[in-house]
Amino acid sequence: MLFLQLLIDGLVSGCAVGLVAISFSLIYATTRVFHVAHAGLYTLGGYIAWYASTQGLPFVLACVLGVLVTTAAGALIQRQLYETLERRAATPLVMLIASLGALAMLQNGIAILFTPNILQFPNPWRTQIVSLAGVSLSYAQILVAVAGVLVFCGLLCVSRYTQLGLRIRAVASNPFLAEITRMRPRAVYVHVMMIGSGIVALAGILVGLDQAMQPYTGILMLLTATIAVIAGGIGSLTGAFTVSIALSVLQNIALVVMPGRWSIAATFGLFILFILVKPEGLFRKR
Amino acid sequence: MTFILSYFILATIFSIAALSTNLLVGVIGIFSVSQAAIFGVGAYTVALLTLGQTLPFALALVAATLLCALLNMALALPSLRVAGDYFVVTSFGCQLVMTAVFINWATLTGGASGLVGIPSPSLFGLSADDSPAFLAVAGSVLAVACAGFWLLMRSPFGMTIHAIRLDELAVAAAGRDVLRCKLSVSAISGAYAGAAGGLYASYLSFIDPTSFDLHVSILILTMLVVGGARTLAGSLIGPFLLLALPQALALIAIPSTIAGPVRQFIYGALLIAFMLFRPQGIAGRRL
Repeated sequence: MLFLQLLIDGLVSGCAVGLVAISFSLIYATTRVFHVAHAGLYTLGGYIAWYASTQGLPFVLACVLGVLVTTAAGALIQRQLYETLERRAATPLVMLIASLGALAMLQNGIAILFTPNILQFPNPWRTQIVSLAGVSLSYAQILVAVAGVLVFCGLLCVSRYTQLGLRIRAVASNPFLAEITRMRPRAVYVHVMMIGSGIVALAGILVGLDQAMQPYTGILMLLTATIAVIAGGIGSLTGAFTVSIALSVLQNIALVVMPGRWSIAATFGLFILFILVKPEGLFRKR
Repeated sequence: MTFILSYFILATIFSIAALSTNLLVGVIGIFSVSQAAIFGVGAYTVALLTLGQTLPFALALVAATLLCALLNMALALPSLRVAGDYFVVTSFGCQLVMTAVFINWATLTGGASGLVGIPSPSLFGLSADDSPAFLAVAGSVLAVACAGFWLLMRSPFGMTIHAIRLDELAVAAAGRDVLRCKLSVSAISGAYAGAAGGLYASYLSFIDPTSFDLHVSILILTMLVVGGARTLAGSLIGPFLLLALPQALALIAIPSTIAGPVRQFIYGALLIAFMLFRPQGIAGRRL
């Protein structure tokens, strides 16, 4: 029974990691910026929604506010930081250092405003439990799972069937060709950043609702997600999401034999093994 | 007086760490946010070897230097083979995993409360237990590190690693073993970080995991970016400037609970500002 509970918990947290992974994958595959500030946006979304909730806003509105503010922040980072650097033909290393700077500012800005302590959402229903066949799930967990699957399917549809999705894929596969066919890659980059930031904000809010929030936990989440992105094959949304879930299930089941504090080390060890054996990823096309 | 001396000693130690990052990030162009982890391994090695007077300080420092060189190389090996942004993940991963090890391997590292009572260095029966003597010890290690860096930059090997940053493919086409060069630089960089960590442990005589977490890695990277990449002067200016920042902030009344985040917020802002307006830093070359 414990095993089944751990499996389900793993699936649920896998959905949350999956959201971070697909949003990072979308941004990374399109803009080619290793956007570490994504971890800061994840934290920002959660804290904005938490603040709105404590001010008495209903959860849904708080959620929308968190997503909107984070989307705007993502667009700002793209327009003011990455685009400026890109126009000056900055090297990837410079972009990365700038992104790291943005991460430090976001995380510590939050820590200054809201203290570095652990915070919990005030909504009492978040810990209510539904039991089914010996497995118990909280409302927050159900919300994480449902949102994870819905957003993943939604993003897949957008990417496959819409005009915007087509443009994103065109720019991702060949920015130069997209530029000369007037696809306006820079506008596409901003859109991609906005979509990615919105998704990661949702993940930050829901994980914050389910567990608790701290300003500096985003980077651990992003590390797990990037490992999933690489193992799934860079550019493959399905790969990123599937591996995220597999990784989380594995981490949760490993709790039977190994204390949770070592799970980051084990995951990282797995990643090192993975890039030695199959560096192109599991689901890579081309 | 002791206050100023302690500032100089810490700046000296961090200059060695900044040189280590300079080799990786500035010279050969490999991103790194795990310098603090390697620095920490050096610190814990010296602490554990000298606690209980099992080994003299000089031998412990050499051991830490070698261990960190090997560790940095072992960590770099898998990701360098596949190139690209995989190193970013390895670097973050290494930093977070090492922090977890420092906190959780409590029987060896003392856990979150750290290790206390690390003896100050002694050499040939002379003990450097007061600050001026320690400054001499740290200063001479820094002098050796600077000389090493200066010679390396002017050697044929130094030319090759500069060329790798500029055009890796061309270097490979010219018949040089790029992977071996990258590994050698990783090893040298690890050795520098290890030596700096060893000095740090024995100067403060107390170490805990928070001295070696991601924030410290970002601090070391900021030192390099502010001072300027690829030059000796850059790696010295950065630490001396940035370690003065906490003292300057102490003049403004900030609640002590948020003093850390305020400092790190400024480091982040500095990273962005320098990347946007002065990517070569104060006394360096273009990144």
